[in-house]
Amino acid sequence: MEHKQPSLLTRLKHKIRGSGDVNTKRVQRRLALKRTLTDKLPKIIFCLFATGYLWMLLIPFPHLGRTTYIDENALQPSQVNTYWDWADVHIADQYLGLLEQIRDGNYTSKERAEWLNMEFLKLGLTSSTQSYTFLSPVTGVNGTNAYAILPSARHSGTEAMVISASWLSRVDEGAGTVNIRGVSFVIALARFLKRYSYWAKDIIFVVSDGYLDGMQAWLGAYHGIQQKGLEREPLQHSSGVIWTALNIDYPGHSFSNLGIFFEGINGRLPNQDLINSLERIARYTAGVPVTLYDHIDPRENSLVNVEYAWVPRFLYSNPIIKAYIIRARNILRQLKYQATGRGSGVHGLFHQHRIDAITIFGLPAQGPHGFHAIGKTVESTLRTMNNLLERLHASFFFYIMAERGWFLKIGHYLPSAILISVAMMFQGLRKWVDAGWIEVDGTEKSDPSRVWVRRTRPVLPVLAIMILTHMSGLVLFVSLSSTWLSTNTYWLAYPFLVLFAAGIYVLFSKQTFARPNEAPLSLTLKALNLCFASTVISIIAVLNFSLSASLAIILGIPLSVSSSKGSTLSRLVRYLTYTYLSIGWRLHAPALAKQLLWNWHVLGVWLAPFVCIVYVPIVMQAGISCIID
Amino acid sequence: MPPLRVFLWPLTLLHLLTVALAANTETFNERLSLNSLQDGKVAAKFTFTTLLKDGKPRDPRLLEREDESQHFTIFPLALGQILRQYGVTELHLNLNAGKWNYDVWGSPEEKGVGTGGELWAWLADGANTSIDERWKGLRNALAGLFCASLGSLDELRTTIPSRAFSPEGSLPHWDLPHHIRHGSLPSENVCTENLTPFLKLLPCKSLSGIASLLNPHRLFDADWHGMGVHVLWREDEGIEVRLTFQSVFDPLRFSNGRIQDWSLKSLFNRQVERACPVAESSEILVGLPHAIYSIKPEPSSIRHKSAVFDVNTLEKPLDVSLHWRNPFQYPLVYATPSTPISIRRTLTGSSQAWGQLSVAVTNNREDPLSIIYLETMPWLVQFFLHTLETRIDGALVDNVISNLTYTLPIPHSRPTTLQMLLTLPPKKTVYLTMEVTKAFLRYTEHPPDAERGWDLPPAIFTPVRFDNDTVVPLSDERMYSSVLLADLATPDFSMPYNVIMFTCSLIAFVFGTIHNALTRKLVVVPLTDDKAKENEKNTEGS
Repeated sequence: MEHKQPSLLTRLKHKIRGSGDVNTKRVQRRLALKRTLTDKLPKIIFCLFATGYLWMLLIPFPHLGRTTYIDENALQPSQVNTYWDWADVHIADQYLGLLEQIRDGNYTSKERAEWLNMEFLKLGLTSSTQSYTFLSPVTGVNGTNAYAILPSARHSGTEAMVISASWLSRVDEGAGTVNIRGVSFVIALARFLKRYSYWAKDIIFVVSDGYLDGMQAWLGAYHGIQQKGLEREPLQHSSGVIWTALNIDYPGHSFSNLGIFFEGINGRLPNQDLINSLERIARYTAGVPVTLYDHIDPRENSLVNVEYAWVPRFLYSNPIIKAYIIRARNILRQLKYQATGRGSGVHGLFHQHRIDAITIFGLPAQGPHGFHAIGKTVESTLRTMNNLLERLHASFFFYIMAERGWFLKIGHYLPSAILISVAMMFQGLRKWVDAGWIEVDGTEKSDPSRVWVRRTRPVLPVLAIMILTHMSGLVLFVSLSSTWLSTNTYWLAYPFLVLFAAGIYVLFSKQTFARPNEAPLSLTLKALNLCFASTVISIIAVLNFSLSASLAIILGIPLSVSSSKGSTLSRLVRYLTYTYLSIGWRLHAPALAKQLLWNWHVLGVWLAPFVCIVYVPIVMQAGISCIID
Repeated sequence: MPPLRVFLWPLTLLHLLTVALAANTETFNERLSLNSLQDGKVAAKFTFTTLLKDGKPRDPRLLEREDESQHFTIFPLALGQILRQYGVTELHLNLNAGKWNYDVWGSPEEKGVGTGGELWAWLADGANTSIDERWKGLRNALAGLFCASLGSLDELRTTIPSRAFSPEGSLPHWDLPHHIRHGSLPSENVCTENLTPFLKLLPCKSLSGIASLLNPHRLFDADWHGMGVHVLWREDEGIEVRLTFQSVFDPLRFSNGRIQDWSLKSLFNRQVERACPVAESSEILVGLPHAIYSIKPEPSSIRHKSAVFDVNTLEKPLDVSLHWRNPFQYPLVYATPSTPISIRRTLTGSSQAWGQLSVAVTNNREDPLSIIYLETMPWLVQFFLHTLETRIDGALVDNVISNLTYTLPIPHSRPTTLQMLLTLPPKKTVYLTMEVTKAFLRYTEHPPDAERGWDLPPAIFTPVRFDNDTVVPLSDERMYSSVLLADLATPDFSMPYNVIMFTCSLIAFVFGTIHNALTRKLVVVPLTDDKAKENEKNTEGS
């Protein structure tokens, strides 16, 4: 037998892996890796936290993200001739004159809706009104919507588009400014659109009463959704499945820019193609500058520089820092709308029914644009929406709009919150391991050093404490929702006094729990608390990034540093600090609580129950882990 | 070439002779009726009727044998061959685009106005081939003849709604049972490619007579349009083929809702240049409005509040025009619908898994009404019949529905057929609601093209009359509800699909590793030689 030289590949393998038993080496390698990870865990956790928070700070950075583009080929924005002209503007002005009389004539909602109904009927549209009453424990509202349907010629009417205008404008969150030009534009548009036979979908015109409540009642009736506390008339007429909707908000005399508002209820976003189409159409067909929200870019209009006067000049003159500040402002606005779950306007109510919708807001100004520009934009956008053969699906549903024409896709921002949540999970697992082991003096004479021995973790009592806190969160929520308690807000601290007392009780009766060779309650509680908070943050991240990022910022470090060490007094102070973090918003912003509850009862925004049943208990658990042993 | 020319004259004479002979056995009548509607629109209906005198449908028992020769001159041969090939007694085909607005437009002259395609036929049993095979052949042949996708009216769409339909003509006394086959295809639209074969069935094509007004550019721009082919047998007359084309024009569209005037020229962009020579009668009927108007030219006669223009005798080119003295205004209150009932049917719920079918039926009459409600639903949407509820003025009632028959769907094949008799109290609206579930499709069952949802066929409401305790459907008064669009759970066959697969694979991989690390403990146990030998022995022993 000839001895064969090992091949080059085998030799190379030997060189890299070394010699010896492969299995042993693999096990050893794995153990070494584990050991390194465990030894360096505090450093790893620190790195994860640092990267996460830094990433969040970097989101507005002008080099992150990319320009927007139209993804759905069928849309073909800005490719049609528009026919809206000055004669139609004149009609809109005439309707405006009539509406001004109505606004100043102190008409009731019902009379107003009836008038709108008549105007739609005069145009030969199928039209009706719908009255509704919300019986909310906070503040009930009622009103009457008017709506009309333009049936598309030759079409079965299985699909529809909506053009809507709420009676109250979004200025100051529907504080009372009448969306007067928006409403008159919708009627004039209805008259104009009826002239053409190329609509492939029915067009529904809705003038909803109030700010958000009217549209909520109308959409609920249209989709047959039962809502508690809402009394509404059924709709007399209906059309097909609504795919897209445009909400018009034009309260001022003229406008300088068209602002786009897009965030929906509970952090939902419309398909980005809709925003991008409108942006291109406004720019190329109507020649109107588009902006996000009501933020005018100071690089396009130098008058706006006043708004940034708080930034030191030497920073502001740097183009990158300037861009950073402008984007940060937009992103914070989106964060606010998404995290509170209320959305940024009437369009937000559509998203819960799988309808892509945005609001077009005419930024009040002395000029230069008016009905002519908004008419051309909306006509062309409707033509674009009319082109759709299927629902908008191609473009992005998860994004952060940094500025007009620039966005971050999910991969660019999601890791920031996830990294923080991973850091919290690691910290929690670390505490879990700590709770399971204790270092004692060596008993064997041959080995005098200290050794690690197992100890049991008091999981059941800890789970009982956690469940108790969530139950008291539920009590808090129910008490906030009930009419009697929300009027007697004095009593709201009640459940927390109970909780506090319970915490003290646990603190002083530790003997009943502490068994020999058992981990302290506080350590186990902290471990489970961190793991639970981390899980919540990761799950929320894909549903509502802004809420998840806010939670990561608020909970990340505070939950990680809770501990039961120190004097009784310092522990009590820590406990009170956590209590303040969890429920302090009740003291500082009683109006906020009212707003959140109204949002829950009328619009179905789940931030209020989430805060009460998830957020407050999580922070309270951290507090309790400070006062018990 | 002289020899040919010699033959030409006698041949022409022979041809003329056969035409003259045929005129005795086949007659052709054409009619156009134009009516102004409440909302200023104009309903036009073309009817072309060919009667094959003493013709009889083919006995299905003789389908195996060679057919006796048929000599048609006016009767459309292409259609006649199909009818004889499959032994069809009665046939109705409608292809419509748009939603007929019963409440404003009233009852249509031709009743089959359901959106999309609808085909139903009465066939006698008794042939060697089953009815279903003949039905399949029939719809494929018609699909070829009319360039429509009627071939997809397969078993997924075919139902047997025997209670809601009755034959329009008579059924031959063959002592054979006759059965109905019905299918609707709501997503099918009518367009030029269907009109061309339709025109080919006419004796004068679109060259002369009323048919020359069938200008596709105008017809297919109308607010509503639909064509129909109806074949039936009348016991004492023969086989009648009725070709219809209905449309609803909007003359107001061009004047911003002010001028209601119309003329043949303005509606069809054509006039009648010459009469169709084989038409026994050819008339244009114009419904006269209740306002101050003028009509040109002078009508030949007035019949039932309609001006009648005899195309054969009037001076050509003929252009009928109607002019109103006052400008038009949309009525703020529409007259009570002339139809016995008003229907509104919706599929609510924005979920892809379930929804609610709700139907509101209003009795517009002062007397109670009995109607048969027919729902033919592809298996994609399945009913929870136990959730069927009827309400009047918000209160539950249980005496509205009687005599319910229900054919369950078979997933991936048979559709649902739900027929029930409704008793509607006078001037009341009955709300029927029922929970439905939407199917989860196999991924090969999704159409490859753009996914807009699944069109569901219209429901059909047929008033009935009671004849000695038997319920007789009055097919001629039936009404169609609007069609619906069902959103089923649809995979996005594009990028996100790949992303989901990648992510899932990654998670599976990471999960495995982490789970291993958490649950298994690996340690290196150094074995001395003795222990190793011991181990070996143990393994050998066991």
